[in-house]
Amino acid sequence: MWTGHIKAAIASLRTSRWRSSLTMLGIVIGVSSVVTIVSLGEGLKQQVIGQIGRLGPDVITIRPGKLVSGPDGSSFNLLALLNTSTLSDDDVAALSKLGSLPTVLPVNFVTSTATSTEAELNNISVIGTGPQMPQMLGLSTNLGDFFDAKAANEKVAVIGPDVAGKLYGVLNPIGHSVSVAGQDFIVRGVLNPSSTGLLVAAQTDFNSAVLIPYQPSKEIVGGKTNLLQILIQAGPNASPDQAIKEAHEVLLKTHQGAEDFTILKQHQLLKLINGVINSATAFIGSIAAISLLVGGVGIMNIMLASVSERTREIGIRKAVGATNRQILMQFFSEGLVLSLIGGALGIGLALVINLLLRLYTSLEPVVNVPVIILAAGISVLVGIIFSTAPALKAARKHPIDALRA
Amino acid sequence: MALIELNEVSKLFGFGDATTLALDEANLSVEKGEFVAIMGPSGCGKTTLMNIIGLLDSPTHGEYLLAGKPAAGLKSNQQAKLRRDQIGFVFQFYNLIPTMNVLENTALPLAYRGMTPVRRMKRASDILERVGIREREYYMPKHLSGGQIQRAAIARALINSPSILIADEPTGNLDSHDTKVVMELLADIHRQGNTILMVTHNPELTRYASRVIYMKDGTIVEEEETDIGDIAQGALLTYLRRRKTTPIDVVAGVSALMKDVPDKALKSTPKKRKVKTRRKRLVRTRARKVKR
Repeated sequence: MWTGHIKAAIASLRTSRWRSSLTMLGIVIGVSSVVTIVSLGEGLKQQVIGQIGRLGPDVITIRPGKLVSGPDGSSFNLLALLNTSTLSDDDVAALSKLGSLPTVLPVNFVTSTATSTEAELNNISVIGTGPQMPQMLGLSTNLGDFFDAKAANEKVAVIGPDVAGKLYGVLNPIGHSVSVAGQDFIVRGVLNPSSTGLLVAAQTDFNSAVLIPYQPSKEIVGGKTNLLQILIQAGPNASPDQAIKEAHEVLLKTHQGAEDFTILKQHQLLKLINGVINSATAFIGSIAAISLLVGGVGIMNIMLASVSERTREIGIRKAVGATNRQILMQFFSEGLVLSLIGGALGIGLALVINLLLRLYTSLEPVVNVPVIILAAGISVLVGIIFSTAPALKAARKHPIDALRA
Repeated sequence: MALIELNEVSKLFGFGDATTLALDEANLSVEKGEFVAIMGPSGCGKTTLMNIIGLLDSPTHGEYLLAGKPAAGLKSNQQAKLRRDQIGFVFQFYNLIPTMNVLENTALPLAYRGMTPVRRMKRASDILERVGIREREYYMPKHLSGGQIQRAAIARALINSPSILIADEPTGNLDSHDTKVVMELLADIHRQGNTILMVTHNPELTRYASRVIYMKDGTIVEEEETDIGDIAQGALLTYLRRRKTTPIDVVAGVSALMKDVPDKALKSTPKKRKVKTRRKRLVRTRARKVKR
């Protein structure tokens, strides 16, 4: 029975192709936006999970702000991400003194301008960090080397491949100077392209970042710090839990008892980031879903107009024996077919957008089966909800009134 | 048992001061196999009567029995099934769905019986053969002549083998040639035992009917049984006494042809006076005029 209705609906929609196409457009845009946003979120999540996976298993992250609460750290305070950093140079110094922590890696984040003799780049991520960074984050250099412990106070830099390309073109940047916030740094290495970032709500792509030693990074902004995180690693003789406990005690002291920092192990960090990305995806996705709603209203509008226009046809159909239910199913199927085809085209468009994003940007959206099922489900739901009223209106028409129209 | 029986059926339209009495306690009984022609001036309630018999409309008062069973008070879905299985409609303005071809239009009633597309198209094709337009089955209605469209409409009406065929001015939009073709088709259908109710303004078409009903102001004022092939007496008299249509009549929307109600004329004449030929009748009328 449904096959017959669907075939009849397709035949009917084909008679007014332009109108049907325009009606579908709302659903196409809505579905493609939702699918693209959800797959971007999914892609971001997978990227982040990959990054965390690349961290050494015993790497512990200290982040500014009280991000988690509850006995098991299950409750996340996302707003804390937006606050200015509560971590300071004193914390780094105090942690470095701990015997159980051989590795303390501050990550100081500054946005600045980078200039070479050839070009200038604005709003570049300048990261002040220590020589252990490649080992802890799994980074490697394509040209030259990462700065070592001896160069901790020297004005040297390791630049991302994108920065190298933009500032020096085809030239080998090693040995050239790059001016960051008016101070010259000698380029010592160029990173290999990677999808790794800093897992923060800022530009975290190492491909377009300039990495400099921690001390000089403080100097370029007048001795201030903006520590996004401090990575620590327990020594061979200390367990991670012991290291966390000691670090916690030290930081409480430096913060005068105020617990405005968060110490996270790898799985906690994963959970936190997942939570953040899921919330952001849901929020933006729900905004995109509004366009689906608008598309649905469009379907209802056109279907109502169609019912008015085809009143005589309804009368003829009833005169030859169509029941109210059969008329209802006819118009209901038309709405459903419109939204289903719209949904399918929307998914197709989203796949094309995702492909283009992968090809031309550093984003890596991931379209998976649940996302497609979700999109198809949403379009069916929109079809059901917004076709009901026009179909009921058509079914309830009195045959003789419809024939006289 | 009569196939159609109307007992004091009335139909009111509108409400309050704007109420119109379209049918006023009409009584009618139609036996199976009859060909009933219904005549009367415009606005006398012919179409309303047809709509009620065809279950497209329901009476305000009165009883309607279809094959001995009350039909007027049925639920809309039950009425739809009766329309589908027992009643076929032929309208003046054809009422084919313009977006479907002739074959699809003809097969439409079968779709509502749940028949598979292949079977219904086969059957529609067969019935189009019967009405003589099989070679046009894939044409859209707009590409056919009035007569061909009306034949397609008749095919659609017949496809479910209905016991009643309701034709509301089936030749109202056709020229004389197409009128003849369509009427011969209806006569053929009647000969096969179908019951036909036909509204017409054309006295000539009463030749095909076995009974003629005359209506005025919502009531059935006269009935006349005729032999097939003969023009009904009342229709003929009305035709001969017709006035020429004046501009006033046109403005009033009144058919001058049917302005003279045949009841008085019929009462003064024997009920089944047969007029042998049209020529004889005309000669007699002219002779009367000469005498005067």
